[in-house]
Amino acid sequence: MTDFNRVIRYLAYTLELLVLFMLQETPGLMPAIFGSRPLMVLPAAVTIALFEPELTAMAFGVLGGLFLDFGFSCPMGFHALILAVLCFFVSTIVKVYLQVNFVTAMITGLWTTAVVVASIWLFLYYFPGYSMPGYAVLHRYLPEYFYTLLFFPLTFLLNKALYQALKQQE
Amino acid sequence: MKDFFKTSSFKVLMITVVVLLGLIIYTASAGGSFLANILGFVSSPMQSIATETTDGVQSFVNLDGFSKEELKDMITSLQEENAILREGQVKLRDLEQENEQLKEQLKIQEAVPDTEMLSASVIGRDPSDVFFGFSINKGTLSGISVGDPVITKQGLVGLVTQAYATTSKVTCILSEEVPVGAICKKEGGYSESGVVTSNIQTAASGLLRMEYLSNETKIEPGDIIVTSGSASIYPENLIIGEVQSVEKSENDISHYAVIKPYEDIKNVKEVHVILNFPGKGEETPEETTSGVDSQDPEDAEAVK
Repeated sequence: MTDFNRVIRYLAYTLELLVLFMLQETPGLMPAIFGSRPLMVLPAAVTIALFEPELTAMAFGVLGGLFLDFGFSCPMGFHALILAVLCFFVSTIVKVYLQVNFVTAMITGLWTTAVVVASIWLFLYYFPGYSMPGYAVLHRYLPEYFYTLLFFPLTFLLNKALYQALKQQE
Repeated sequence: MKDFFKTSSFKVLMITVVVLLGLIIYTASAGGSFLANILGFVSSPMQSIATETTDGVQSFVNLDGFSKEELKDMITSLQEENAILREGQVKLRDLEQENEQLKEQLKIQEAVPDTEMLSASVIGRDPSDVFFGFSINKGTLSGISVGDPVITKQGLVGLVTQAYATTSKVTCILSEEVPVGAICKKEGGYSESGVVTSNIQTAASGLLRMEYLSNETKIEPGDIIVTSGSASIYPENLIIGEVQSVEKSENDISHYAVIKPYEDIKNVKEVHVILNFPGKGEETPEETTSGVDSQDPEDAEAVK
């Protein structure tokens, strides 16, 4: 029974990541704010990490990251690597130092999103040598950062509900 | 903390990091990957459905321009139409779309003869791509390869930069990565060439820049800019856009023209991929043009 519930929960997480990836990629679905749209897969992967053990968190980080890699024209594995490490450490930190609640989820969202968006800017914009990196930060990456943060409460509540619904029966 | 680095979880993390680094290096050097093909097989049909649904909802919601009577008539006619078409709705929709695409393709082929083209739909736009690149629902199984130009009936849109089995990534001409050798032909046989490129600021406004024009340039607002075809990456005479203004370069004594593409590249939904055209990939002798042609677009046009 325990294994069955866990399998169902993991399938639900996988489906959640896939659906959010499609919503994120679908042209015209999410309105652009200052020309930017949110990375909806990122909040989902990070909030899953808040509830799951570190290796499971890392696995879903890799999956979410691979979706992001596939959507973006960058080498496969870039986002997967960042999200794998981030989700692993988020899960570890939460287990050792923090309680899982709304406030810690938002604080985690603040720094993890900053790490991901800064990495995208650094490795996929600044290092390749595109012009006007400062303009890119102000006009594209900062709006994307704040827009992505808006999805943390939603994904936190969704994953909390999923975890509790399928955990209680274990 | 010392014990943390000895845990089996941490060892698994390190192995994962090494594997992912290997994947990054492999895909950066070899291009496509098996993993990307698998993800494409899984996600592209669902992305197509999601995109079609969104388009349908958007066109349904956008009713501001109609009066009540017109809306009533529209609902009545749609209900009647719906009853008739319900049986073969899905199949008919596919056929209609294909028909429209082929009609458009025919129009383009009349304008650009001897080209082999393939219609495709935009199924994804990544939020992190600041230059508005997009994914299309056709890939290498349909004959698409990296470097194929992408157009609409309004003109050049971009270039295929990644081709997977069932999907492809298109980098727009709004990107700095896709400079295009361009030419402006005017009356009296006068022509002037340059390189059309963009940066994040102009891309945000949906505009392009034709660089390397002399300070005596005769290009003026309203002129139409087309591809020169000099590097054999694009066919000749594909429309790029219309000149909005000519301004002095910030860096040197040359001028640049601000170009407005006829196509709304940031929101394009249906495109055509040019699979083959006369002279594709062949080296061509340098074109002789008047004006400043000192910069060889061939060098600049090669995709970074």
